[in-house]
Amino acid sequence: MNGWLAAAALLLIAGVGPSLWNAARGAPGRRVVAQNYATLLLCLVFLLLAQGYGRPAYVDLALVLSVLGPAGTLVFARLLLTGEEAGEGGEPPGTRRLTPVVAVGTAATVLPLCVVTGPGRATVKLLVIGALLLAGGVATTRAVRHG
Amino acid sequence: MADPAVDDVLIVASLLFVAAAATAAVLNRDPARQAVVLSLLGLGLAVLFTVLQAPDVGLSQLGVGSALTPLMILLTVRKVRRQRERRDGERHGGKRRG
Repeated sequence: MNGWLAAAALLLIAGVGPSLWNAARGAPGRRVVAQNYATLLLCLVFLLLAQGYGRPAYVDLALVLSVLGPAGTLVFARLLLTGEEAGEGGEPPGTRRLTPVVAVGTAATVLPLCVVTGPGRATVKLLVIGALLLAGGVATTRAVRHG
Repeated sequence: MADPAVDDVLIVASLLFVAAAATAAVLNRDPARQAVVLSLLGLGLAVLFTVLQAPDVGLSQLGVGSALTPLMILLTVRKVRRQRERRDGERHGGKRRG
């Protein structure tokens, strides 16, 4: 039984599925927040897959997504939330939970991976991905809140 | 190496996710909202490629699908909307003058 792959499958089914449900319906703000959740969770899924398959090269996918995911969310926040649909009042549901979820999810995934990997360049890479995810979570939360 | 049962679960889950995201992208009619679902479809395809052991394809899909395509769609929608507003403004201005 490969625990890493099982965790990735669980995260994919229980985390990314509901984000798709939220991204496909409702107000634009709710969709943007759901898209942000999906990119974060998928980044963690890629990290778990890399460990589960035993191929450190797969970590590059998570690295690219940790840069492009928040960038995509910022694009949506800039172009979708400032259009004519803006001004529906209040911040979208789930915005307040975004930064805590990012922090807890990243810590719960990256730290065990660091312990398994051991000291070296791969650990530094994992820590960089974690830092990028945290910074992206804070930046996108601010962008969704303030437009 | 990987356990076949867990591997199958991963492949089936990502396939179902891709199918659901594609259906949702079709059912949404507003292009700006469609772009959000489309970016999720790109992410799902990247996971599917990775699970099928083709991470190089997944990497390029990630770059194109998650950031570039939605950006182009949103910029296009914005430009069309602005042009339409400007044309409407000119038409109303002309009526008022005439």
